[in-house]
Amino acid sequence: MKLAEISRKTLIHLCITVLLVVNLYPLVIAFSSSLRSADNMTNPIVLFNEITLSSYKDAFARMHFPTALLNSAILTGISVIAVVLLAAMAAYPMARLKTGLSKFLYLFFLGGLVVPGQMVLIPIVQMMNSMHIPSTQFTPILLFITCSLPFSTFLYTGFIKSSVPEEVEESAHLDGAGLFRRFWLIVFPLLVPVTVSVVITQGVWIWNDYFFNMIFITKADQSPLPLAMLGFLGDQQNPTQWNVLFAACFLCALPLLVLFAFLQKYFVGGLTVGSVKG
Amino acid sequence: MNSTVMKKSLYFFAVPALLFYLLFWIFPILKLFQYSFTDFNGFATQYSYIGFSNYKELFREGTLGESVKNTLIYTFISVVLGNLIALGLALILNLKIRAKGLYRSLAYIPTLFSAIVVGFIWSYVYMPESGLLATLLGKLGIDSGDMNLLGSYSSALYAIIFVEIWKNIGTSTIIFLAGLQTVPNDLIEAGKIDGASAWNLFRHIKVPLLATAITINVTLSLINGLKAFDYPFIMTNGGPGTSTNTLIFSIYKMAFTEQIFGKASALGIISFALIIAITAVVVVRLNKREVSA
Repeated sequence: MKLAEISRKTLIHLCITVLLVVNLYPLVIAFSSSLRSADNMTNPIVLFNEITLSSYKDAFARMHFPTALLNSAILTGISVIAVVLLAAMAAYPMARLKTGLSKFLYLFFLGGLVVPGQMVLIPIVQMMNSMHIPSTQFTPILLFITCSLPFSTFLYTGFIKSSVPEEVEESAHLDGAGLFRRFWLIVFPLLVPVTVSVVITQGVWIWNDYFFNMIFITKADQSPLPLAMLGFLGDQQNPTQWNVLFAACFLCALPLLVLFAFLQKYFVGGLTVGSVKG
Repeated sequence: MNSTVMKKSLYFFAVPALLFYLLFWIFPILKLFQYSFTDFNGFATQYSYIGFSNYKELFREGTLGESVKNTLIYTFISVVLGNLIALGLALILNLKIRAKGLYRSLAYIPTLFSAIVVGFIWSYVYMPESGLLATLLGKLGIDSGDMNLLGSYSSALYAIIFVEIWKNIGTSTIIFLAGLQTVPNDLIEAGKIDGASAWNLFRHIKVPLLATAITINVTLSLINGLKAFDYPFIMTNGGPGTSTNTLIFSIYKMAFTEQIFGKASALGIISFALIIAITAVVVVRLNKREVSA
């Protein structure tokens, strides 16, 4: 009996290990190759047979890493703050009022999920051209915000409905606080768990996005990390450069991997607040 | 609570977000509709209305049919296979075992990478001769010869679908896991006492209670698939030929490289209608099945 239990557990662990090895294998190989020099790229499956940072040096310089990192941080930071404020506000009436309009707004906001960003770009680019609005490094922020609103308002509405009872606002109302103060001083501070979730789910895609940046940002010194990666696109055909390309890949992913290492609990939990439990 | 506390003026809180929607979604979609009846090229200030010509041309040419077919295959396989794999992984990770948290974190790692990085790494995996897959097959004594998964008509689409699935498994697994944790243990125990088999426990207790998680995962992967763009753009450029042209990639190519804004707009309108119709049908069906614990 005991033996059967142990062998069952071993089998499960073996199963999981095999699945995860298959899953992570391409990343491990790419990481191992990124630590090699250019003349040592012939046998990719021998792991870590050379450890040199020379390719990282090349990639670091070619993608202007410090500038790109700063640009990514600025773009993501501004977008995420705006999304949190706008989505929390928009969710408030949808969670509190039970009228037809409120239901309509909820579906209307959620409906934004199906709009492909690449499609609406055609008229937006055109609109900006005809109004002579120059596209700057900040233009993508407008689209990041718009594309983040559907899911964020969905999360906030669910959370306010389920976890912020109307009673908490009652005393403030009796003290004569207006709607504005009630929202910002009483409701908003209670939204921390779902705000963490919004920051992480939306922050990750905005940080990783290359498309909107590619359309609007033309100067190298304004490029965030994923856009700096586009410069390596031609290297796909040139195997001798793969080590530098891989190094660039990991430099690009590094900031999120570091954050993930420290904040795993929030990343994993953030996905499920309000969506499954709420 | 009385209505003086929750007043209609609450709606003002939604105004800033609504403005973003109007400016960057509603207005552009209306504009797109207008452009779809013109010969607009994106630059010239003068353009004329040409009726349904763009639409007619799209239906005649085959680009539309090809893109719809590719998008539907892409969506169907990534939804079904992606969710089945994620559900399986979640069921295993939900067993009472040690190091569960570590496994869960490892499974999540691929989702942290940018699509552009994922595209690069998988281009290397699929590369003929010196790529990862070719090297592995070589070690196993299998001559992959001129196998070129991304370069052949018959396999390129499936090769990029696999990448899409790989990238999203972590997210779906975490959502399924959270759903599984809402399944009450006493319900499972009661089922066991009644003599239900493992399959019956799964089919009649876990699946119905997983309905919310299933709805979320299927809906998100469905929309993701219908809007597929990244891997055709990064890995195959729609090719070889038009074998990996998805709807959204075709729109992008028409508008930004071929500069036929009018026709691209018409394709955009058709795609948009298709995405809405398919999503609506699936979501309504999924919602009918949901039950609560």
